[in-house]
Amino acid sequence: MTSGMLYGGDEIGALVFDIGHHSLRVGYAQEDSPKAEIPAVVGIAEDGNSNAVPQTDAMDIDDKMPDSNITQNKYFIDTTILHVARKGMEVTSYMKDGMIDDWDLFEKVLDYTYGKSIQSQSELHPVLMSEAPWNIRGKREKLTEIMFEKYNVPAFFLVKNAVLAAFANGRATALVVDSGATHTSAVPVQDGFVLTQGIVKSPLGGDFISMQCKQYLQDNDIDLTPSYMIGSKEAVKEKEKPRYVKKKVIPEVTQSWHNYMTKKIIQDFQITALQVSETPYDEKAVSSIPSVHYEFPSGYHQDFANERFHIPEALFDPSVVPMRGGVVGNTMLGVGHIVTTSVGMCDPDVRPALYGSVVVTGGNSFIQGFPERLNRDLSMRIPASMRLKMISANGCSERRFGAWIGGSILASIGTFQQMWISSQEYEEAGKGQVDRKCP
Amino acid sequence: MGDVQDILGLERPPTPELTKEAILGSSDKLKKKQMQMSTPKVSKRPEGMPREVFALLCNDSKGVPPVFPTDTGQGYKQTKAKLGMRKVRPWKWMPFTNPGRTDGAVFHHWRRVADEGKEYPFAKFNKKVPVPSYTDDEYNQHLQTTGWTKEETNHLIDLAKRFDLRFIVMKDRFDKEKFTDRSVEELKERFYTIQTTLTKVRSTSPPEGKPYVFDADHERRRKEQLKRIYERTQKQIEEEQSLVTEYRRIEARKKERDKKTQDLQKLITAADSQSENRRIEKKLPKKKLQQQLTRPRVDTVAVESTGIKFPDMKGSGVSVRSQRMKMPANVGQKKIKGVEQLLQELGVELNPMPTEEICTHFNELRSDMVLLHELKAAFSTCEFELQTLRHQYEALCPGKTLDIPVLSESQTVSSSENDGGKQKINLEIIDVVGSPGTPNSSTHLN
Repeated sequence: MTSGMLYGGDEIGALVFDIGHHSLRVGYAQEDSPKAEIPAVVGIAEDGNSNAVPQTDAMDIDDKMPDSNITQNKYFIDTTILHVARKGMEVTSYMKDGMIDDWDLFEKVLDYTYGKSIQSQSELHPVLMSEAPWNIRGKREKLTEIMFEKYNVPAFFLVKNAVLAAFANGRATALVVDSGATHTSAVPVQDGFVLTQGIVKSPLGGDFISMQCKQYLQDNDIDLTPSYMIGSKEAVKEKEKPRYVKKKVIPEVTQSWHNYMTKKIIQDFQITALQVSETPYDEKAVSSIPSVHYEFPSGYHQDFANERFHIPEALFDPSVVPMRGGVVGNTMLGVGHIVTTSVGMCDPDVRPALYGSVVVTGGNSFIQGFPERLNRDLSMRIPASMRLKMISANGCSERRFGAWIGGSILASIGTFQQMWISSQEYEEAGKGQVDRKCP
Repeated sequence: MGDVQDILGLERPPTPELTKEAILGSSDKLKKKQMQMSTPKVSKRPEGMPREVFALLCNDSKGVPPVFPTDTGQGYKQTKAKLGMRKVRPWKWMPFTNPGRTDGAVFHHWRRVADEGKEYPFAKFNKKVPVPSYTDDEYNQHLQTTGWTKEETNHLIDLAKRFDLRFIVMKDRFDKEKFTDRSVEELKERFYTIQTTLTKVRSTSPPEGKPYVFDADHERRRKEQLKRIYERTQKQIEEEQSLVTEYRRIEARKKERDKKTQDLQKLITAADSQSENRRIEKKLPKKKLQQQLTRPRVDTVAVESTGIKFPDMKGSGVSVRSQRMKMPANVGQKKIKGVEQLLQELGVELNPMPTEEICTHFNELRSDMVLLHELKAAFSTCEFELQTLRHQYEALCPGKTLDIPVLSESQTVSSSENDGGKQKINLEIIDVVGSPGTPNSSTHLN
């Protein structure tokens, strides 16, 4: 037919939102990476006008009624603005358990997105959004309502992010292992539908590893002063006490913001230093692998050897987690176990297909050696007659934005264009149809 | 062919070349070829010009080459690709409606101006799986069944429509709060029953082809098996593996044992028949003869191969009788040596006077000697095996001793009374050889 049919693509100017616990990815469909990645946390400061810190006019959306006496909130969205030290700015997330929890904050972020990242009107673009596979009906309907009522989108669609991740890797049937910030989950997807009864998740995610790192670093008396407090520093020898001068003028920042900044350091440490050992953690085997040098913002630096394997081992073998506070323990499931449990709950007929394409996605899977170790663990566990194939995009952005890319592909496919919930349909049948139309 | 002739510098035969077609006999093809050959276009190869050079100048399709260059192109300048010489076909951001949608929503997309107003090209992919629907009457009349309410059936049909008969997804999304949890097989069974019933009821003419019958029980069993296979533990798999190898080993051993038994049988029957023959020759009383004949004889066919088979000298012409006493060529050197040694021991001449009688007896004697030799060897093997088994048995069950029935007269096979008993024992011994490691199998020797 016409060249418009090439690759089956037909792009209608749709926007794709991938809402994660760590960040919100947004961009136009048919592009290969999102336009913006916005942290899923928002800084809130009370009081609108007497702000000591000079405002970049970049982002501050005032609450309604600018001249009323009620204290107004200022919202600080996106990395650049969020990372400035401000007096009394609290940092909160609008996400909870992988689902949107604080709708007001979320709307603020959407406002910002349309205003600054997309720079276009919401009425012009159909919107495809991702959601957690365990999202509940009430939240889906609420989201649909907001998009149609507040943003007047011409069409809307909700897809589970596991499905999108599978699509991004060219699979309609896959077992999606998503190791994200708050949890690691295994989600079976068949023909583009999530098998909800087979979802298994465990809270061992990136945040958990961060917590372990923090614990470890604090136990070893390593200074975790974030860079915003440091005025100048001197070079010191390895493992020596850091020598730095604190900044003289630091606004009175809140504890939550300080924690947020500290977490950023830890996350950087996590990405740089940690590695999953290819075989179950063994002190001897690991000690032969070269150590990694890391320098903290305070100037302190040292080599990390065994511990960099020991910490992420918890993902695969939770029994190594030292029991502190009793929150997490060895009752958790390791990643390999999650996968086998999930597949075990599915129909025996689909199991070979699921093992035949295990898609690894999510930011936490970036810890060096994660896919290799998972591959090893799985091949030990699954029946010998089963063919195991692991799919993990090698490119950084392909895996990081896996679900977004899947959404980008889906929303720009010609045959998909009849799936949207259009504004007409919304007006006729209301928000209740989202459960029917977006399975 | 022609090339080879050219290389060898041979004269070309005046007759048309021998082609494959000519050999295969497809004459019309040949004719066609000749027709082509006879067209006036083709010029003849001048005398003395090599075939290759001629082919350069002139080939079948083009005829005679031009005398001077006729290439009128611009040479290398021409190679520039001529792209985009057509007028650009503009694209336009235009609204469209999708016939696949029921609401007539208008979206915008890029499309060629030329295609404006045409139907949305992807609409044709909007295919739906036919899912049966029924009226209330139909349901009440034909579709009622125990275990399924009408509401639940409606829910099933609705799911089938929504998920295009993906039963696994349908099972996943089945409303478990309102209805009971159904297995995939239950859903399929119900659905296909409805479908077949409705087609049967609705069709006026007898149905074409066989209706699809879903065998739920079979499916359930299949899945159960599949599940079991998938859920085997590593230990179970290893166990199965070791069992299989064990089985193979036993099979191989059994084969070996069978072979041994057969060999032994052969020997025994050979011995039997030999002594029988002897007796017949000696003209034994008829009574005894019959008695012997009634004894079960095993595998008489195999008798021939033991002992020495001397060829009958029935060739035409004259021959020396001593030729009959010559050892046949197929007898092994070792056997011959053995026989010679035994003959020397017995003080028999190695080359006796070849009278008729001596010839026959000498041959018989030597044949018997070989048989005896073989029997002895077999017997000692059996004896040895019996001993090993006894040692094994005693090692496995300390304190017990294995009583082996003593054979009073074992060395020679000639006494027929003992034969049956010996044979039996032999067989038993051989049976046990198969599994020397297992103690319980050797106990039945007691």
